Amino acid sequence: MSSDPTRYETEERQMSVEGSELERTLGFVEAMTLGGGTMIGAGIFILPGIAAETAGPASSVSYAIAGFVALLAALSLSELATGMPIAGGSYHYVNRALGGLFGAVVGWGMWTGLMFASAFYMIGFGQYLVEPIPFLDGRVFIVGLGLVGLVLLLGVNYYGTEESSAFQNVTIGVETAIILVFVAVGVFFIDPGNLEPFAPFGPGGVVATTGIVFISFLGFEIIATVAGEIKNPSRIIPLSMILSVVLVTILYVLVMLVSTGVIPFESLGDSPIPVSDVAVTYLGPAGVVAIVFAAIIAAISSSNSSILAASRVIYAMGRDGVVTDWFNVSHPRFYTPHRAIAATGVVTALLILVGLEVETIIALLAEAASFSFLVAYSLVHVSLVVFRRADPDGYDPSFALPRPLYPAVPILGVVLSLLVVSQMATVVVVIGTGIVIFGVVWYATYTRGRVVSEGLLSEAIRGKPAEPYRVVVPVANPATQRGLLRLAAASAHANEDRGTPELVAVNVTPVAHPSPLQNVEADRFEHQRDLLNNAHDIAAEMDVTLRTRTVVAADVGEAILDVLEEEAADEVILGWDGTLDRDGHVFGATVDPVVRSASCDVSLVNLRTETVGTPVALIAPGHNAPVVAHQAAEFATVDGAVPTLLNVQSPRGKNDSNAEERGRTIVVDAAEAAGLAPSDYDIQVVVADDIGRAIVEATSQYDTVCVGLSGRTEGSRIPFGTVTERVVHDVPSNVALIRGS
Amino acid sequence: MDGIGIMTRIDELRILVPVDVSEEEPPALDVIDHLGAVEVVLLGYFPVPDQAEPALLRDQYGPEAADRLDAVAAEHGGPAEVLVFTHDREATIDRIADEYDCDAVLTGGRSTVVDRVLVPLRGDVNLDRILAVVADLLVAGNETATLFHSVAEDADPTQGELLLIGAVDRLVEYGVDRDKVDWRLSEGGDPQTDIVELGAEYDLVVLGETEPSLRERIIGDVLSAIVDALEVPALIVRDVE
Repeated sequence: MSSDPTRYETEERQMSVEGSELERTLGFVEAMTLGGGTMIGAGIFILPGIAAETAGPASSVSYAIAGFVALLAALSLSELATGMPIAGGSYHYVNRALGGLFGAVVGWGMWTGLMFASAFYMIGFGQYLVEPIPFLDGRVFIVGLGLVGLVLLLGVNYYGTEESSAFQNVTIGVETAIILVFVAVGVFFIDPGNLEPFAPFGPGGVVATTGIVFISFLGFEIIATVAGEIKNPSRIIPLSMILSVVLVTILYVLVMLVSTGVIPFESLGDSPIPVSDVAVTYLGPAGVVAIVFAAIIAAISSSNSSILAASRVIYAMGRDGVVTDWFNVSHPRFYTPHRAIAATGVVTALLILVGLEVETIIALLAEAASFSFLVAYSLVHVSLVVFRRADPDGYDPSFALPRPLYPAVPILGVVLSLLVVSQMATVVVVIGTGIVIFGVVWYATYTRGRVVSEGLLSEAIRGKPAEPYRVVVPVANPATQRGLLRLAAASAHANEDRGTPELVAVNVTPVAHPSPLQNVEADRFEHQRDLLNNAHDIAAEMDVTLRTRTVVAADVGEAILDVLEEEAADEVILGWDGTLDRDGHVFGATVDPVVRSASCDVSLVNLRTETVGTPVALIAPGHNAPVVAHQAAEFATVDGAVPTLLNVQSPRGKNDSNAEERGRTIVVDAAEAAGLAPSDYDIQVVVADDIGRAIVEATSQYDTVCVGLSGRTEGSRIPFGTVTERVVHDVPSNVALIRGS
Repeated sequence: MDGIGIMTRIDELRILVPVDVSEEEPPALDVIDHLGAVEVVLLGYFPVPDQAEPALLRDQYGPEAADRLDAVAAEHGGPAEVLVFTHDREATIDRIADEYDCDAVLTGGRSTVVDRVLVPLRGDVNLDRILAVVADLLVAGNETATLFHSVAEDADPTQGELLLIGAVDRLVEYGVDRDKVDWRLSEGGDPQTDIVELGAEYDLVVLGETEPSLRERIIGDVLSAIVDALEVPALIVRDVE
């Protein structure tokens, strides 16, 4: 963790992740209460009438299907939430995975969807208050009460309340208890005759109804939104999401079965307060009071959650630049997202007011909200696939869907969502599509150019890039950089089987006392820029990916070592002026530490001629031989040549006829170890008494000579033989000294 | 006295210093610099009101809070830093103290020097650790300490005396100069009021964790009433087996 204060990088780096954390205060019970409590709500009190009207007794199946679709979304969201705990939920995942266009579509869709939902709950709230009281009849009262309720909720959310979670738990508990009593007693009053025919409107009616009732399941997503506060997230997030969706689904299905079983679905369909009408038949007036009470608190809590969720979405959109960042500010004193809440409130109020004019407003709002969320969740499923395939840095979900749930869940999720959408009322499809188009237009006119999120789609389509094969080339001298980059590109390409070829050109500016405030002199800076620009041009010619890095450091050699470490380099190609033993260094002050300590393959190259041509590798027995052979083969690709692997033997005695054979064996062994096929290289064996001279004579015939340095360096000594020395001094060709990792 | 031989010496005293990073003005933490050779873990906490979402506040205030915490850390020799957005400050203090293995938590109050330390003792509970911490402070610095114990009106005061004298002996065993330690016994008063009143004359109060047997909270209700009423900083010694 210790940072080296003597080195500063000018390279643009990704901003480090904020080091702050959230206190994880939510355990399993809290997460369940939060998810289940947000979900269980007004939908089940308001919608059974409409559901019965469009699907008959089979509307319970519609609830089951809707619950299943929600469950699929919950599964995908669980993985995403443990991988990226950040405020914004679904919108955020889609924006991140699929980019700004889809981000805008889902953001606007979710925001409007949640406002539809909120308006829906508040009108339902009005209905349950108004209907049981005979003299308070009429649409104006319903809408008026809805508006009053909304204003109260907005005030509470704007200023914030220290609302005790105990109070919330009590209301959720009471609500659930009333529903359970309703179901438990109701089953004894079911008249099987009412359940015949079970599906009077056929499967089409059942699926169409699914689109309306899906709204009843909104809310489980809250668990993903607070993922950062949940203890033991890898377990509790998926468990609480799945369990809350399953339990709520079961409850809804039972309520629907009881309702259609007790009252013929035709008369249930006429009621704006269906559950209350069912309860009166077997629980009497007390039952009605209880149901009305439960329905009212359910409507308030559901509407409240929707307003909060909606403001959260638009707040997050402000953060990402999809809308103005004016929304992305929380109240200086109450710490609430007050602007987002205010905007949400205004639009929701307008939606409630539409109820004055449109009679079927309830069904319309419910279905439009469902539409938005079905579209959003389909894109969430797609996002999961994109995240899996692109596997970006920082996405490391602690809960991952096991096979075969992945890819079954996202595929089924998309298919089912689209199926449900396809059966929706035309007017809803028009509204929903209108919102989607609005999102697209918004992206094209407002967002584009401001939004940074490009998404991971292209990476996902390409698939996870293979590990790169990375060759680092320190460049300093314009005269040699072309040659070095050419060799590096050849090396990288020749290792394509080990990874995608990638070059990293590094320029180190040495300064005596580096400091971030010190300016590198202008001409030096210019020189560096030219160098790296040229490097880019050269790389483009050679069809290889190149990144450039600039480092300011006191010690160039140490700086290069650090870069090798950070880049996890596979190979480094260093230029060297061909001098030996100067000022107490073997190769030079910069090169020595790299040759000594680099943990990757090192090629020390002295370029003396323009052409790389046909390389020759000097093969002596030893573990370094295969590396040298392979390097020669890599360099050979520059000019499309075949490398020669050379071994020189001294004859053992006067008539040693085996010398040639011995040399050949050594070469073949080394080539085999390097993975070279016999056709990849030529063999040359020279038998001579004066090995040094023979080597110089033989290698001088070639354009480039590769010689091994012993890989094992002990202490600070770089082993360096006389043969190498002679080659360096006496051979006019390019010389590459190779040290294996 | 029995039990003297099995005292646990704390090698390196590590204290947790919580700082509210939502405040623009960082609190005066001069006391840290006067505690001698202690290792400090700086906990920057951002209290999130119930109605607000931690993740949302982190988005907005994260960088600012981190800067404030860095500034505080820079002033006090760059200790380890943790930054947490929390609904529940006390839970965060508990958790971080645990994770970082802190011996004590320093809270609240203002003192520019630490010369006189008040050490209220309640009984045998957590006594070894409290004394070990006090000994560390006294051996490392120039502070003097007063050990304090309060006995109920109808109880036998000699019990309290024994406790206090025994505690002084233990400190001396640790290498504390006997001249630097004295003790006071209060009879029949309300310990809470006594501690708060007496605390005003001191620069630092060293207290034991509340309800250690229940492992409830480092700063429980009683303790937090005392800490809030005290004008000087309090060092709360954790009870770790």
